[in-house]
Amino acid sequence: MTIYSFYIYDRHCACVYYQDWHRTKRPRPAVEGGILNAVSRAVAPQAADTSAANLSTSSTTAEDSSSIFTQAALDTPRSNALTFDEEAKLVYGVILSLRNMIKKLSGRDEQFTSYRTSAYKLHFYGTISGYKFVMLSDPSTDGLRFVLRQIYNGPFVDYVVRNPLVPMDSREQGVDNDYFRASVDRLVRGLVVFD
Amino acid sequence: MAIFSLWVINKAGGLVYQRNFADGLAQLTSNEYLVLAGTLHGIHAITSRLSPIGSSSGAQVIEGDSFKMTILLTATGTKFVLLTSPGETTAELVLQKAFEAYADAVMKNPFHTPEMPIRSDGFESRINTLIGSGQP
Repeated sequence: MTIYSFYIYDRHCACVYYQDWHRTKRPRPAVEGGILNAVSRAVAPQAADTSAANLSTSSTTAEDSSSIFTQAALDTPRSNALTFDEEAKLVYGVILSLRNMIKKLSGRDEQFTSYRTSAYKLHFYGTISGYKFVMLSDPSTDGLRFVLRQIYNGPFVDYVVRNPLVPMDSREQGVDNDYFRASVDRLVRGLVVFD
Repeated sequence: MAIFSLWVINKAGGLVYQRNFADGLAQLTSNEYLVLAGTLHGIHAITSRLSPIGSSSGAQVIEGDSFKMTILLTATGTKFVLLTSPGETTAELVLQKAFEAYADAVMKNPFHTPEMPIRSDGFESRINTLIGSGQP
């Protein structure tokens, strides 16, 4: 049982925030111009040499070297791994198509809530204002919409909506900031399903 | 606990069988069902690529507020989709049985053209006994 990743999309279909925890298959950094600024430092566009420099500076202590190597092995861009901007678009495409499909099939204004594969489960929560919260977790997890709602009610309202330094709806800027990130991290790590 | 509908989607994404068993979902035209089946086929392929931890199957269960879709992908690429109420626990079993009925009454039928719509009384009656006749 664990949580893998968390995305927020705004009503203009753009990914405005990303965070991940136990992912073993990380996306490659986004290409230049593929995503907005201030979405996530981990997947922001970067030149290949800077990531190599980061690894070499962090591997100065001998006792850390084993973990650094595994980290490096995990971060090695493989040809089959998607770049983050591609992945973000695919996630958005899937939730949008499923939302439309569920609406069409039910004939009501009904929300799509989750889907499950053999490896993960995707949870979805859409707000009235058009923000879409998406979380990927272990497939055996129960519904996590309440967590997405908590993130919206708590950290999102406190550190994004009420934060004058975050331009919402700007189409140029994501909503990433240190307080929000730390607050989401604390909330998710405090969950029973997180370990 | 209700079973709303059964779809069979061929390996190219075409809907070859669709039947409603209970009311509760919108009544759509056969054209709309064809479009939805094609969409589902595409989504199914994408979901297997979005895995955060290595390889994954496509979507197996898709849930809405008032119903869920359970998807069985067979080794030949044919998909069996069952639309049920969210609490239905027998969906996987029913799909497996529907696949058996398909193998017996459709694939062994010399008059059936593969990948084409299923028009077989044998399959209909097997499904009737499996799920119940419901409304046509």
